[in-house]
Amino acid sequence: METLKNLFYSKTTAWLLALMLAVAVPPLAGGYLVSILILICIWSIMCFSINIIYGYTGQLSLGQAAFFGIGAYAFGILTVKLHMGFWPAFLAAVVITGLIGFLIGIPALKLRGPYFILVTLGFSVIIGVVLVAWVDLTGGANGLAGIPRPNPVPLPWGGQLSFDSLLSMYYFVLFFLLIIMVFTHRLISSLLGKTLVAISYNETLTESLGINTMSRKILSFTISAVLAAIAGVFYGSYNVVISPEIAYFARGMDVVAYLIVGGAGTMAGPILGTLVLMAVPELLQVVPSLKTLINGIILMLFLVFLPSGITGGIDTLWAKIFRSRIRQYGPARG
Amino acid sequence: MTEFFQYILNGISQGCIYILLASGLTLIFGIMNVPNFAQGHLYMVGAYFGFYMVMSLAMNYWLALILSTIALGFIGLLLFRFVFYPMRDTPEVNLFVAAMALLMILEGAALYFFGTETKWFVVPFSRKVLTFGDLSLPVQRVIVILGTLVVMTFLHLFIKKTSIGATLEATAQQREGAMLCGIKVARVSALAFMIGTGLAGIAGVLIGPAVLLEPTMGMGPLLVAFSAVVFGGMGSIPGAILGAFILGLVESLASGYISATYSLTFVFGIMIIMLLFRPKGLLGKETWRP
Repeated sequence: METLKNLFYSKTTAWLLALMLAVAVPPLAGGYLVSILILICIWSIMCFSINIIYGYTGQLSLGQAAFFGIGAYAFGILTVKLHMGFWPAFLAAVVITGLIGFLIGIPALKLRGPYFILVTLGFSVIIGVVLVAWVDLTGGANGLAGIPRPNPVPLPWGGQLSFDSLLSMYYFVLFFLLIIMVFTHRLISSLLGKTLVAISYNETLTESLGINTMSRKILSFTISAVLAAIAGVFYGSYNVVISPEIAYFARGMDVVAYLIVGGAGTMAGPILGTLVLMAVPELLQVVPSLKTLINGIILMLFLVFLPSGITGGIDTLWAKIFRSRIRQYGPARG
Repeated sequence: MTEFFQYILNGISQGCIYILLASGLTLIFGIMNVPNFAQGHLYMVGAYFGFYMVMSLAMNYWLALILSTIALGFIGLLLFRFVFYPMRDTPEVNLFVAAMALLMILEGAALYFFGTETKWFVVPFSRKVLTFGDLSLPVQRVIVILGTLVVMTFLHLFIKKTSIGATLEATAQQREGAMLCGIKVARVSALAFMIGTGLAGIAGVLIGPAVLLEPTMGMGPLLVAFSAVVFGGMGSIPGAILGAFILGLVESLASGYISATYSLTFVFGIMIIMLLFRPKGLLGKETWRP
């Protein structure tokens, strides 16, 4: 009986319930809700990207919006101008962005703390300028239009999965979000993941154990760039049009806010944060000019009063109710 | 050649704004270890304060300058008391994110109260242009340069000649040592914060009549001023002044001779190169410790 009760109150149950809701509810909901759900999935992927480099490795990067933009634009240019198919272009965009992330990471990750943040921010600003100014390639301020939806996938028993409708696009993005979550979970459970968490606690100490922290940080940064590129590709494919604003670093800051409010260095944090800070204002039809203000105030309140975010709050509450052990990853915040 | 000197002159007047912002940044960083990412937006708020007082309340420009500085200093005090002082023992990255949250709040508030459309901050003398031979400079830009000289001289005298200024310097040099000498570090930090944000307020009202006001106007100067602080060495006021001056010239020359679109790219490029080869900056004493 005790085990049954424990099972009922476990996190696995909560995850399964959330997954069931995410799969079962959208067909009953209207198109507007589905479109918001798609955006939630895309920005959650983006949050997972920042979660890898900031939440687990402890290096705050404001350059993720740039990787998002590079991924989206690489994909857009390959499909619209070079007429490549969805899947090869997707793969190429991700590889290109990963390579750029790797190359940027080598010099940038030599720096720590505010210096690293500043270099990633500078990178983001430069990419934003390039996207506007390189009109021949990117279409300049007008952006790039006509980005295709995913090609149909043939099924082994005949027929095919096509992604023309909004609902099928949602399942497509949800599927990739789940893959990324499983990947993140596997990564953090592995030795590499534990090394990353160790770096976030104390890099010098980790280095003194004979671990090459530089190579681990570069790997983590590259992975986060790849995840941001995946989010960028999906955004381009879903939105059909992309413009330079998507790579603007304010977007990167917004996503950092989602992550911290949700809880950095946790699995549920990215999703909860995106739900609260992006979906709720969208559903309540908050005026765009108020969104920045509200996001800022919420972020500030969390930083001062609950730096571990919503998940941290839930964990503390859970521990108070059930007196169970709190299991937390990521840097000690607050 | 005239062109060249004109760019230099523009660079100097723009550099003065960066000097005010960068010395505020470096003061706050040196004493509180807060990378105050919202400095540019505090400058925007200062400009809007000035705009509101002069245009809506028909106040004298100089009075508006003083009141706006005081108001920004007060905002700095509130920020210190309710945000950065409670967060003083958290990792530096959290302080950065808090400043980022502040940036979002200020930008959102400006958007909400003043809208996205640009505003003209008109002061009777601001549209006149002075000419020296082939060179020309708007009167407001001259006021910016003179104002910066006056403010920086006062700041220098304050830090070097008064005992309160000495406590500021002592706290920046050795926090624990200053505590042992009986300096009330929290009070000194609050003062540093107020001076830092007040400098942003002065910069905002000084530049206001020379540019168009919009809620995002603080971002560009912030990025350059931050780069200047890194370039000159975090925590060092002479370094910040030198860095701001050099980057102001670089920005002006790059936008004049190469392209205005890419001028920020050059500033950042220089900063990144500096960080990679000399992370402590031009006049910085030590590198940042983890």
